[in-house]
Amino acid sequence: MSGVVAAGYEPAQAPARSRRRRVSIPVILAAIVLLAGLVCALFGPWIAPHDPNEQDLFASLAGPSRNHLLGTDDLGRDILSRTIVGARTAILGPALIAFGAMLIGNFFGVLAGYRGGGSDTVISRIVDFVYALPALLIAIVVVGVLGGGYFLAVGLLVVLFAPVDTRIVRAATLEQRNRPYVEAARLLGLSDRRIMARHVWPNVLPIALANAFLTFAFAIVSLASLSFLGLGVGPGTADWGRMLSDSRNLLLDVPEAALAPGIAIVLVAVSVNIMGDWLSENLADRGRAR
Amino acid sequence: MRIEARLPEGARTIVRALDLDVAAGETVGIVGESGSGKSLTAKALVGLLPPGVHASGSVHVNGRETLGLPERSLRRIRGREISLLLQDPFTMLNPLLRVGVQVVETAAERTREEAVRRLAEVGIRDPAVAGRYPFQLSGGMLQRVALAAALASDPDILIADEPTTALDVTTQREILALLARIQEARGMGLVLITHDLRVAFSICRRIYVLYAGSVLEVASGSELEAEPLHPYSLGLLLSEPSVERKLGELAVVEGSVPFPDAVSGCCPFVPRCAWAAPACMEGDPPLREVGSGRFSACVRLDDIRPELEERHRAVEEAVPPDEPRAGGEGAALVTATDLRKRFARRRGQDEVAALKGVSIEVGAGESVGLVGESGSGKTTLARCIVGLETPTDGRVLIDGIEASDYSRLRSEQRRAIRRRVQMVFQDPYSSLNPVMTVGATLREALSVGPDSRTTEADLLARVGLPTHYAARKPVALSGGERQRVAVARALALQPRLLVCDEPVSALDVSVQAQILNLFAALRAELGLAYLFITHDLAVVRQVAERVYVLYDGEVVESGPVNRVLDAPSHPYTARLVASVPRTDPDWLEA
Repeated sequence: MSGVVAAGYEPAQAPARSRRRRVSIPVILAAIVLLAGLVCALFGPWIAPHDPNEQDLFASLAGPSRNHLLGTDDLGRDILSRTIVGARTAILGPALIAFGAMLIGNFFGVLAGYRGGGSDTVISRIVDFVYALPALLIAIVVVGVLGGGYFLAVGLLVVLFAPVDTRIVRAATLEQRNRPYVEAARLLGLSDRRIMARHVWPNVLPIALANAFLTFAFAIVSLASLSFLGLGVGPGTADWGRMLSDSRNLLLDVPEAALAPGIAIVLVAVSVNIMGDWLSENLADRGRAR
Repeated sequence: MRIEARLPEGARTIVRALDLDVAAGETVGIVGESGSGKSLTAKALVGLLPPGVHASGSVHVNGRETLGLPERSLRRIRGREISLLLQDPFTMLNPLLRVGVQVVETAAERTREEAVRRLAEVGIRDPAVAGRYPFQLSGGMLQRVALAAALASDPDILIADEPTTALDVTTQREILALLARIQEARGMGLVLITHDLRVAFSICRRIYVLYAGSVLEVASGSELEAEPLHPYSLGLLLSEPSVERKLGELAVVEGSVPFPDAVSGCCPFVPRCAWAAPACMEGDPPLREVGSGRFSACVRLDDIRPELEERHRAVEEAVPPDEPRAGGEGAALVTATDLRKRFARRRGQDEVAALKGVSIEVGAGESVGLVGESGSGKTTLARCIVGLETPTDGRVLIDGIEASDYSRLRSEQRRAIRRRVQMVFQDPYSSLNPVMTVGATLREALSVGPDSRTTEADLLARVGLPTHYAARKPVALSGGERQRVAVARALALQPRLLVCDEPVSALDVSVQAQILNLFAALRAELGLAYLFITHDLAVVRQVAERVYVLYDGEVVESGPVNRVLDAPSHPYTARLVASVPRTDPDWLEA
């Protein structure tokens, strides 16, 4: 009536399909954009064809030419050079914010997640409170009132972004805390500090690192928004947000003046997002069994 | 049939060559350790291979070729002609649908009456069950529901992939008996895939021994048990601890299962075989008929058959070691008195009592077993003793130190306790920090240990691992090797008691035997005491001399292992002992 027979074999001819994620084209492009941005941020003044602040009122509002590849703005400054040099404030600040928020978030996140109890309650409530504040609005008010410069804005955003990191790291720590390897470390009689630093933290770091990239992307946009509003960087500074705001009246005359920094912001923000996604996908699997 | 996985590194063979036939009304077993390719074989038979894995050859169901059929035609065959029952009942059912709906989803008649009738066939008499959701049912019940669903379209063949591995022994027996009964009543073909030889012996008429993607032996259950005709089958059989009697030292197959491609062009068992010879390296050994209906892939079988037989007999007839030392001869190392532990459930609900007044004692140098099914509280008890949980009530005394609440101990007391009691966890894959090398893990443990002269190399040597393993990360280690490292880490503190929570249940039988031997050797060498938690009576017979049987948070029986297992006095213990699979055909009936 019935029967299963499985017999004989010949070499299989199936299309090869990869199980492991390969580096995709968007990731490569994102890496190139970020690398270029980094080079500009570090060596901008040496790369730029012109002094970004050199005014040439006779050549103002010029379209693209061989001398000025992207034309000049209303004061006759070279737009390409300003965009290249502007990478410094555009990338340095967000990098500091992402790094600072990550450090604070990792410290309090691991502490709250591992210790639990009172420390967790205090930290989590503070996090909830800061989280509830509209970050950009606070930054506008504080920087506006204090009249502080770029680094005050950076410092403020570190504090305002740290709760995101704290929450994520706390959740990841909670997951690691009851793993047998952590319990084994407790049974050995290792100090809590050592368990947090050597056992828990390295295992939540990939998530924190990936999140730092996302913070970076947010920070680029936030800082650019602040400079667009005239807060943070001083007037006349070559900065993408500032350039965007200064040139918005010239949009019909020299669109390059606003488009160049605008496109730069979008490109870098998107690239950082892509890199962050890629990192979180890959780092999360690292070291995990099977 | 052949199964290959396509990876970026190139194709990897999973199953080299498998010939298998199942007649109507026949029960066939596929037995293999992890990595043998048994689960993918099951999936290949029903056309459910994951993407990137490809089978070639042919599969005939009712005389029709099904390999390579389009999905649409396969769908008509699945369930109706060939059906699959999976291992984990907890993830097999849709959590959002009532079980009755899932049972009749593919049946001709989708009524509640039909669902109740189908559930009754798998032994669920209560018609209310059909209206429940999966999370309201126990594992055994879920596996019955899953079986009813797999049978809903009245298949000619049922493939059961480790259907009882996730279940307790008593439930396992019920499910196996149910499978046997239904198979017989329906005249259905049954393919049972398992890692457990005892399960296969109890129910299968014919057994295929699968190893690294190749079938090494085909025999009936009783023949295989009486006289295995392949060195691997023999090794597998001998490394299985016996529930009936204690063995001096378990026979061990060294090493672990290789990837099929690593052993292509020769007998796959060559690297671990004691009888390997040049002849074994000449091509894939074919299955040869060596008796009526018996096949073996050993090319040297004719030469070594007497030796295999002798080896088997030697172990079978080995004199059991001296009656183990009676318990309580040394001073009590750990005493737990009337321990109670309640866990608060979600707000507004009752508390759950995990321990209801448990008293146990472990003497110095004594090996004590703690046996129970899931939910019996055995793990909670262990965690209370080592201080990972604080008991709600009751006392724990460790070498004279009151250790009921670790948070109240002074730090030097806590250190003293840590150096007396250490623990080995169940899951070897998560008990080591994945980012630290083995050496770093051991050095860290030594840094808080009492002896500064011991090095990580000493520890590795003690657990039988080569020194160069210190540079490796846990990912590069097999399950058995990781468990050795976990033991080494615990030994760094030179404890006098190791609490072992199911330390071998996640390992293959041949590796399990290695680890059990390691525990025995360490005990002989260091005079360690063990509190050995396990659900496996055969394991407890080998490692312990005294045993506590835990049921629903209470100790229902305790005493010397031999007495408790041979002449259980409590009905629960008796049921537990009777649930261990036996070849005896009456076992399933009882």
